[in-house]
Amino acid sequence: MLAFKDVSKSYRIKGVKKTILSNFTFEFPKDRNIGIMGKNGAGKSTMMRLIAGIEPPDAGHIFRSPQVSWPLGFSGGFNGSMTGIENIRFVSRIYGQDTKRVIEYVRAFAELGPSLRLPIKTYSNGMKARLAFGLSMAIDFDVYLIDEITAVGDDDFKKKSQAVFKDKLANSQIIMVSHSAHTIQQYCDCGLLFEGQTIRFFDDVADLLAAYKELNR
Amino acid sequence: MRQVTTSDLLLLQTRVIASLILREARATFGTSAFGYVWAIITPTVSVGLLVFIFSIIDRQPPFGASLALFFATGILTLQFFNELSGKLMTVFDANRALLTYPIIKDVDTLIARALLIGATYALIMVVFYTALVVLGLAQFPAHPEHIISAFLATWLLGLGFGSLNTIIFSLWDTWAQIEKILTRPLFFISGVFYVPSQLPPQAREVLQWNPTLHLVEWFRHGFYANYNSSILEFWYPISIGAGMFLLGLTGERLFRKTRF
Repeated sequence: MLAFKDVSKSYRIKGVKKTILSNFTFEFPKDRNIGIMGKNGAGKSTMMRLIAGIEPPDAGHIFRSPQVSWPLGFSGGFNGSMTGIENIRFVSRIYGQDTKRVIEYVRAFAELGPSLRLPIKTYSNGMKARLAFGLSMAIDFDVYLIDEITAVGDDDFKKKSQAVFKDKLANSQIIMVSHSAHTIQQYCDCGLLFEGQTIRFFDDVADLLAAYKELNR
Repeated sequence: MRQVTTSDLLLLQTRVIASLILREARATFGTSAFGYVWAIITPTVSVGLLVFIFSIIDRQPPFGASLALFFATGILTLQFFNELSGKLMTVFDANRALLTYPIIKDVDTLIARALLIGATYALIMVVFYTALVVLGLAQFPAHPEHIISAFLATWLLGLGFGSLNTIIFSLWDTWAQIEKILTRPLFFISGVFYVPSQLPPQAREVLQWNPTLHLVEWFRHGFYANYNSSILEFWYPISIGAGMFLLGLTGERLFRKTRF
């Protein structure tokens, strides 16, 4: 079960209070892919961090029984002075994976070649994103959290990512934040929309996209 | 659905902490084995130098036959404690990016760093004291088991004070400066240059409240056969260390929300 019960979350930045969630209760439907949409700064990324368990809520409970990934798509967790291999090794260790298998997988998938032996700080953003994506795909999660993953790499790589992704979706569920109607339509079948103070659930992704369009008018 | 048991969680935490130690060692000491050798040599030499300088100034050891051993028991112990309290203070900030991975928690990074510093200082002390014995500047310790307990107690006190520092620093970053001012006098009130038991009673009355003094005394009790400290209370530094660690953990839980 992945559920929010009476969850409240707000930030106070320089005395300005920003409420993201107040008394939000929601159970994420099982075996469905959920898109999260809304304007910039509405709190979509915060919601991802709450789902992942990176941040605690101010009040309420978050129930999380499936194995949930880290919010994927940004490479904040890499150590710049360590090489690609060393970063892969670290992440596979903390998730209790077979280090060799993960390295082989990422090597084959991310196509970074000898760069894997260089420190991350020498990588371009595209290379980092490929490493991050490959790494998360190497580990089996029940739920993948994807925060605005902009398609990385050339067309070949995009095709490969999509293929792997579709493959993963057979056994896992995704929760995805995106501004792109196309991406949401491609991967999700239902969704949440942040509309100012309220969050609305749409059982059908077409309705979600229509409401999102309306919101941005 | 399978329930997650406590042993599952402990296993997970052990795994995470072990990975963090390896990562931290790599980040601190670099890729070559030589990096670690430097990490051992630098403090060893700096303590050696201090001991050397003090032994020139003061020819008569305050206790026992060796000035080097007497000062080392004071300086190394304090340095170990200071390293823990100082390096742990910034551990949450330094590892902020790691929290991207939700299975890593702040406390894991704290414990991992404390264990790595502990292991490093264990090695430093073994190297240093062995060198003293080999050079004929010290006898083989009279109570080796007490040296091990003294080491562990120092680690606990450093961990306790360090974790309190971490919490206070995360709420109020001026604390880094204040902590420096507060711990500076430790060098003079921890019995590095003198035998505390030989001080006038009024001085002992006050100094005995300093837990690091007890640690220095404990190490000396381990090395000398007849040190006979009138101050040393084993349980005092242990209780203060454990108490501060618990307080630090409580603070971590209470103020967790303000850190994000």
